[in-house]
Amino acid sequence: MYRLFLAIRYLLTRPINLLGMGGIAIGVWALVVVVSLFSGFLQVIEEHVQASSSDIVATELPAWAEWPALRDALQHDPNVAGMAPRLLHYGLLVEPGKRPPPAPLPGRGAMHGGDQPFLFVFGVRAELEAKATKFASWIRHPDIPDNLRVRNVDTPLAPINNVPTVLLGLDRMQREGLKPGDSLRLMTAKMKRGKNGRTTPVEVDVELVVGGAYQTNHGGFDGNNVFVDLSTLQQALFPDAPNHVQEIAVRVKDPNQLEATASRLNREVQRTLEKDNHGYGSVQTWREKNALFIKNVAHQRELLKIVLTVIMIVAAFLMLATLSMMVTEKTADIGILTAMGGTPTGVTMVFLSCGLVITGLGVVAGLSTGVLTAVYLEEIRQAWLWATGHDLFPLSVYNLTRVPCRIEPLWLLQVTGMAMATGLVVSALPALRAARHDPLISLRGV
Amino acid sequence: MSTVLRATGITKNYAIGKREIPVLRGVDLSIEAGEKVALLGTSGAGKSTLLHLLGLLDRPTSGTIEYDGRVVHSLPIGERARLRHQQVGFVFQFYHLIPELTALQNVLLARMMDASVLQYWGKRKEAKASAVAMLEHVGLGERLHHRPTELSGGERQRVAIARALIAEPKVVLADEPTGNLDSATAKDVVDLMFTIQQERQLAFLLVTHDEGLAQRCDRIIRMKDGCVVDQEMVTGPESSGPASSGPGAN
Repeated sequence: MYRLFLAIRYLLTRPINLLGMGGIAIGVWALVVVVSLFSGFLQVIEEHVQASSSDIVATELPAWAEWPALRDALQHDPNVAGMAPRLLHYGLLVEPGKRPPPAPLPGRGAMHGGDQPFLFVFGVRAELEAKATKFASWIRHPDIPDNLRVRNVDTPLAPINNVPTVLLGLDRMQREGLKPGDSLRLMTAKMKRGKNGRTTPVEVDVELVVGGAYQTNHGGFDGNNVFVDLSTLQQALFPDAPNHVQEIAVRVKDPNQLEATASRLNREVQRTLEKDNHGYGSVQTWREKNALFIKNVAHQRELLKIVLTVIMIVAAFLMLATLSMMVTEKTADIGILTAMGGTPTGVTMVFLSCGLVITGLGVVAGLSTGVLTAVYLEEIRQAWLWATGHDLFPLSVYNLTRVPCRIEPLWLLQVTGMAMATGLVVSALPALRAARHDPLISLRGV
Repeated sequence: MSTVLRATGITKNYAIGKREIPVLRGVDLSIEAGEKVALLGTSGAGKSTLLHLLGLLDRPTSGTIEYDGRVVHSLPIGERARLRHQQVGFVFQFYHLIPELTALQNVLLARMMDASVLQYWGKRKEAKASAVAMLEHVGLGERLHHRPTELSGGERQRVAIARALIAEPKVVLADEPTGNLDSATAKDVVDLMFTIQQERQLAFLLVTHDEGLAQRCDRIIRMKDGCVVDQEMVTGPESSGPASSGPGAN
């Protein structure tokens, strides 16, 4: 009993111990808030990526891949709900009479909503794409202003005045001041094999007209991808192979069997495209296809965990300093505690209890304020914006409606364990020093 | 009367570098229940060292220490600590009160030493009542909630006495308890200690330089250079044994 009693009395009479407690609380708070924010962000990113992807995609299809053969091979899978053929190319979209957009700034990538001058051009069949992805809802997205909407959502890629249409991401359209009916030119190239067997690039220009905007909520996708009708790309790139397909988007009936379905479809694709005893093509789930992007965000979260843990270690050193100072001050008490029946272990426990009480209170304070902050992060952002005019977390950059937050109980447990372990280590050092102190020296009043 | 504390052939050496410095050179001593023994000697005679050994705060280099006939000096550290708590009360010259605690808390701390949180919680009211009674007994009923810095030297020593006695020890070891007090206060404190000693029939060992104070005890043991050089029984109004004197027992 005396250990805990003395530990609490020592702490209550030494406000400097609040420094250590405050340090631990700040460390725990930061770990909870930042990691909850990043976990929420990661969850939103995954939702956005999933919303802009088909469940499964057959990709890396070779030049001899043809839609009818692959469709027939894949459509019998029991978990396939819908399929859509795609051609995928790249190019510059240029307004007639204007220069192409500038090259991106160093370090600015797809995350920033399409600063890339090059775009990926999806050639799709709208009615099939709507069965394989959320294409239909992308062009009906409520954020799209009326004046930028596709005029006929049932045939969004139908030519306008015999000119093929192109659908652009909403942000890109707004940023470049485009509206339905505007003319655009797709500048790209394709490789052509000459009579000598060599392949050389050949310029391809396609006249297009803006059909309207789409919005998937995944800024990286919307900013860098445009849609045209499949036949537009076929005629421009593969006029001699009208059935050629480069990618097949697949929607499944049961998302819980995604991996198993992808595995079956992969076997079917390779069997169908087998040549010289080698299967071609690859089938991936949406998560596999975007693994690198999702992993990057997750990796950033892990790096932040390491950086923030350093804060806690700094706080632990602060605690070590204050506890060491306390042990130095309290050596006189060690003698009388021993005289009253205390043991070196008991003395150790007094000072260890001090450290653990400081850590425990710091953890409780850090966890509670951290969870509260994480839950009300959006409200805090708005209050900060109102008070200072500075937006800490611009939601529009990430197509968010509020600051994301996901509190993971396992992480809270890990933070608690990490903080308590750190507290235990830094408390043990001065506590052991106290235990080694000769009580007779204190009792002699030396 | 029964012998509560017996020390036989006690030696104690301290190592300073490679040298062994003998501080006690074979001390024999026994104290009976209800007996007041004064330990007199000059500085460096080994009085405090002997007191610490008798209080089981340290181990002798050789010799034996017995409490109620049980050899205790070689017990493990935890056993010795428990025995110290149950059998021995210490009073020191510099009081050694814990400054963060009030007078009441300083006394209560002694009741907490061998109790777990749950054990203490179950008897906390009883413990507090006995601590308050003890402080009232030493005349500090009005100073229960004062911290040591708010008490005079005499009051601090009274708190230390109350703390030494709260666990109802059989032996009280006092190391120059009046050495830091003015003569009037010292007399009050000694009167109080001896009154309680008589009430409780405690075995009382008093280390002092003060010949007058020693004369109020039942027996005086004189030490010099780590040896007991003389023992004498004191006759007088406060002593209980017959007057005698004899050579040191070492």
